[in-house]
Amino acid sequence: MNHSQGFLKDIQISCLVVGWLLSNTASIILSFRVWGGQSMTDSAPSWFFYSAEMIHSLFLINHLGDIFLEKHWKSVISRSVCDYFFEAREKAVDPENVPPVLQTPHHYLISIYRGKLFFLSVIQTEVPPLFVIEFLHRVADTFQDYFGECSESVISDNLVIVYELLEEMLDNGFPLATESNVLKEMIRPPNILRSVVNTLTGGSNVGETLPQGQLSNIPWRRAGVKYANNEAYFDVTEEIDAIVDKSGTTVSAEIQGVIEACVKLSGMPDLTMSFMNPRLLDDVSFHPCVRFRRWESERVLSFIPPDGNFTLMTYHISSQNLVAIPVYVKQSINFFEAGSCGRLDITIGPKQTMGKTVEDLKVTIHMPKAVLNANLTATQGNYTYDCTTKMLVWDIGKLNPQKLPNLRGSLSMQTGVPNPEENPSLNIDLKIQQLAISGLKVSRLDMYGEKYKPFKGVKYVTKAGKFQVRT
Amino acid sequence: MPYLGGEETVRELRRALSNPNVQSDPLRYRNTILKVIRTMSQGVDVSGLFSEMVKACATVDVVQKKLVYVFLCSYATLNPELSLLVINSLRKDCQDPNPMVRSLALRNMTNLRLPSLVEYVEQPLTAGLRDRAACVRRVAVLGWAKLHNLQPSSEIDAVVVNELYSLLRDPDPVVMVNCLRALEEILKEEGGVAINKPITHHLLNRLKECDIWGQCEVLRVLQRYRPQSEDELFDILSLLDSFLVSPHPPVMAATLSLFLSVSSSLPAVSLAALERVSGPLLAACGSGSREMRFAAVCHIQLLLRSVPGLLGVHYKRFFCGYAEPAYIKERKMQVLVELVNDENVAMILDELKGYCTDVNTDTAQAAISAIGRIGRSYSDRCLQILTGLLGLKQDHITSAVVQTMRDLVWVCPQCSDTVCLALEGCEETLQDIQGRQALLWLLGVYGERISSAPYTLEVLIDGVRSEASLGIKMELLTATMRLFLCRPAETQDMLGRLLHYCIEETTDMCMRDQALLYYRLLHCGIEETRKVLQGRRSDPSLGVLIGRPTKPVSQWARCFNTLEPLSQGAVEAESASRGNSSTDGLASSITAPLSLSLSPAVSPEDFEHLWLQRQALHTERECVRCPAVLHCSPQSLQAAMQLVNIQTLAFTPQHTLPWRVYLYTHTLSEDGQEEEEGIKVTLNQQPRDDDALRQFLTVLTTVLNTLSSEKD
Repeated sequence: MNHSQGFLKDIQISCLVVGWLLSNTASIILSFRVWGGQSMTDSAPSWFFYSAEMIHSLFLINHLGDIFLEKHWKSVISRSVCDYFFEAREKAVDPENVPPVLQTPHHYLISIYRGKLFFLSVIQTEVPPLFVIEFLHRVADTFQDYFGECSESVISDNLVIVYELLEEMLDNGFPLATESNVLKEMIRPPNILRSVVNTLTGGSNVGETLPQGQLSNIPWRRAGVKYANNEAYFDVTEEIDAIVDKSGTTVSAEIQGVIEACVKLSGMPDLTMSFMNPRLLDDVSFHPCVRFRRWESERVLSFIPPDGNFTLMTYHISSQNLVAIPVYVKQSINFFEAGSCGRLDITIGPKQTMGKTVEDLKVTIHMPKAVLNANLTATQGNYTYDCTTKMLVWDIGKLNPQKLPNLRGSLSMQTGVPNPEENPSLNIDLKIQQLAISGLKVSRLDMYGEKYKPFKGVKYVTKAGKFQVRT
Repeated sequence: MPYLGGEETVRELRRALSNPNVQSDPLRYRNTILKVIRTMSQGVDVSGLFSEMVKACATVDVVQKKLVYVFLCSYATLNPELSLLVINSLRKDCQDPNPMVRSLALRNMTNLRLPSLVEYVEQPLTAGLRDRAACVRRVAVLGWAKLHNLQPSSEIDAVVVNELYSLLRDPDPVVMVNCLRALEEILKEEGGVAINKPITHHLLNRLKECDIWGQCEVLRVLQRYRPQSEDELFDILSLLDSFLVSPHPPVMAATLSLFLSVSSSLPAVSLAALERVSGPLLAACGSGSREMRFAAVCHIQLLLRSVPGLLGVHYKRFFCGYAEPAYIKERKMQVLVELVNDENVAMILDELKGYCTDVNTDTAQAAISAIGRIGRSYSDRCLQILTGLLGLKQDHITSAVVQTMRDLVWVCPQCSDTVCLALEGCEETLQDIQGRQALLWLLGVYGERISSAPYTLEVLIDGVRSEASLGIKMELLTATMRLFLCRPAETQDMLGRLLHYCIEETTDMCMRDQALLYYRLLHCGIEETRKVLQGRRSDPSLGVLIGRPTKPVSQWARCFNTLEPLSQGAVEAESASRGNSSTDGLASSITAPLSLSLSPAVSPEDFEHLWLQRQALHTERECVRCPAVLHCSPQSLQAAMQLVNIQTLAFTPQHTLPWRVYLYTHTLSEDGQEEEEGIKVTLNQQPRDDDALRQFLTVLTTVLNTLSSEKD
């Protein structure tokens, strides 16, 4: 080897090997898969498991940092445990930025932020985080469902019901009854008429009898429902979440869809809903009443509906080429280097609206701090500029394709402050009636199991969700 | 924080509660109790009203009962004697014909949590287990767990435990799940509820009836079960398949956890499960709740440790929304860095560039360091962006960029030229300590290429007396020493001043010692000093330049669906460990007529230099037939190549597309080419020699074929 070194010509080979793998695009496969095949080896690692303790206490905290409600399902934990949370809240500046999981010497604090309220749960041992987060959201959803909104004032006004609900939803830290239908039979939601009657007669909001749903074969529907008018209405609502960049190309776009139902049918009806184009739906989630096997094999929704209002299904369409963008925006927002002013010019026009009118159009711009005031003219609708929150809101209303709405003018800026580095982005709100932007259509709705003929109706509406245009 | 005047309120409430007129009017009575609860929830201590409230408990009004129970359960531990009075009315309620009242009484009886009351509670609880109404049984079952918590040391009656086991077969699914929870707590000492084959199969069959909370619970408990045969294992997996793609993230995560634990000995099954679960996990990343999105992204980070390329096509899902909280943005950027490949690198960098000017400085700095991470594989593009950011002259951005550049040149020394050019003038904008330290380090190491380096240092040395940070002073000292070695004429004077200051004036021991060390080192001669200070600049043994090796699923499976991935420190530091799978017998199977040699060693920077230089001259593109090599791990390829004297310099993570490996060798003789589908080989050779090329390719093919045949 030694002397070969001497003969070594300076030949060097460097090489690049490129392997072409079959690209397997991951998608949600709804088909049933059978697991099997490989051989087993002996070494199985030992696993360690935590005890089954769940949510210990719940604190409701408003955005000012006051605890206004606490509930303990096990022993009472002092409020001082929340100090760790307040510390993090202070550090995060913006309440939205508080991390959802905090670790303290003896507890974990898992919180969610909904409607300017923190739902803070105290947990003593390791738990599945997704479970706790989902449960806290379910609590907030239930409040929303009962009181129409989820805010401090409403919760304090209905303190009794809130305590009753929390008591029923969790026992010893374990979720108990969370289905809104079941809860509503045990604890009646408040309404103005009943609260007046209650004050006069001393009646209560508590159901006197055992909820029927818990005894019937189908847990989500009570037995012996009777209506004079039998009707079933469905609302198909789609929200477009999209990010469009400066040049008008779509950075990301997806549709969040939901079918809400209001079913008032006597007896035990068995409904079947079929779609014109069920292949559109790849990522779906159903109410427990839907027979999943029939969806898998025939792509129809077959179900015995709960009584009243419920969410039949939610879906999510993420492939970008299926998402139509209903409006385009031509914009220029400039801040001048030398002077203390800026210029703004925005025009909105229809893009892919499938021949429908765009309504309730609204543009919201969060301006940089340096913008003091706006002096603009709108060809349609009004605009407002709030100097404290720096929010420019332009309420346009109906979009007329013949005469495109335009907003232009100048922005007065604070002098002596460096120009904002980042241009603000535009958030757009809109509504299109009688259209599901994905093209989803219900083709028919059949009822079996009962003799009468129900009224049926389907309504479509498309809205903007998080629709954002970058500048 | 009790309110001022709390005592006044309590006195007033007591007066109202004991007023006979109020007591006789049920409506006013209830409203007064409501007022007590409201005061309690404001944080005022109303425990003084305990005896009045106990009296209010004796009523037929269910709402009033519930309100009083809320009060009693909060303050019972403070008044154990008085609580005894409540027990009687509670026991009476347990006989009530209305099951709602029965369950309410039973629940609150156990919620009082007083050890002295246990003897009164046991009898109604036992009766509750056999109650006709499911909702009473649900409460009774959990009641036993609460009793056990009160006296963890006392043995729970074996009869009760047996009864609880038999209630696992209760027709009501919630009773079943509650039984499971109760037994888990009662039998904690013995390791929880016994999970044998009949119980497992029973639970699995009932799983569909449970609500999502119940499903999570059952799935969690079942992780302890070890299937006895392979067929049983696959039966279980098939049964659970529909839960794996459940639209409820908690159920999906619990199922995956179970999958990973039962199939821990079958890595292929685990990987298939990960692939299947990627869809639902992605959907959770787009969920409406930001906390859920956060948790999902954190769990995806875990997945990516084992299958880095899994979500490459879905990178757009991890673009940040404008209004998303900083903690999600940070995690999403970490994921984006993992997902970079040739196709999407431009898009991802464009997106990250947008985040660099975020209002939130933490987010901006995280974005900049993310670009730096990508820079390890795509240095040119990233450096271009980073240099552009310096032009903004914002102090937090400049600081982050300089730190990122420092980290980048350590790993990729070939970037140093661009970095040196970019550094000019940024000392003016730098404010914070970390940023200035990074700049000093760079000035020291690459001082000979930055023309203004001595002058920048001189300004700092002149102001060293007013410098507060020790870290900066130490860095300054080292940087000046290093600069002295390459530009002695310009630096000698200021080094002398700095050493004098450090040794004579400063009071900090650490600083003084360091300066003395350098001083004595200089006495030993300039060559000695050079040897010490200008040692290896970066680690040439960095075998994996691009990406890091994938980890087996078992390494993280245990912390899946726990809080661990959500905590801050979960993003583990890169480990450059190189697993060497054995490829014995390979050497003997190859007899290469071509003699290849590894010496002289080529460092990564030389390699890159040569590569780019030669690519311009002539490039050969070859295709070698050997599809199966794609299934073997990079590590075994590397080991195999080493046996035939081909050095693997770098490769991309296992699942990225296209997968690349950079190799080099020196040879004695020469060579040509070969065409087939499967693998594309690009060769750069100097000087051009067809014969050597052919022989080299033969060696390469033999190695690849051997590897693939081993695989079969």
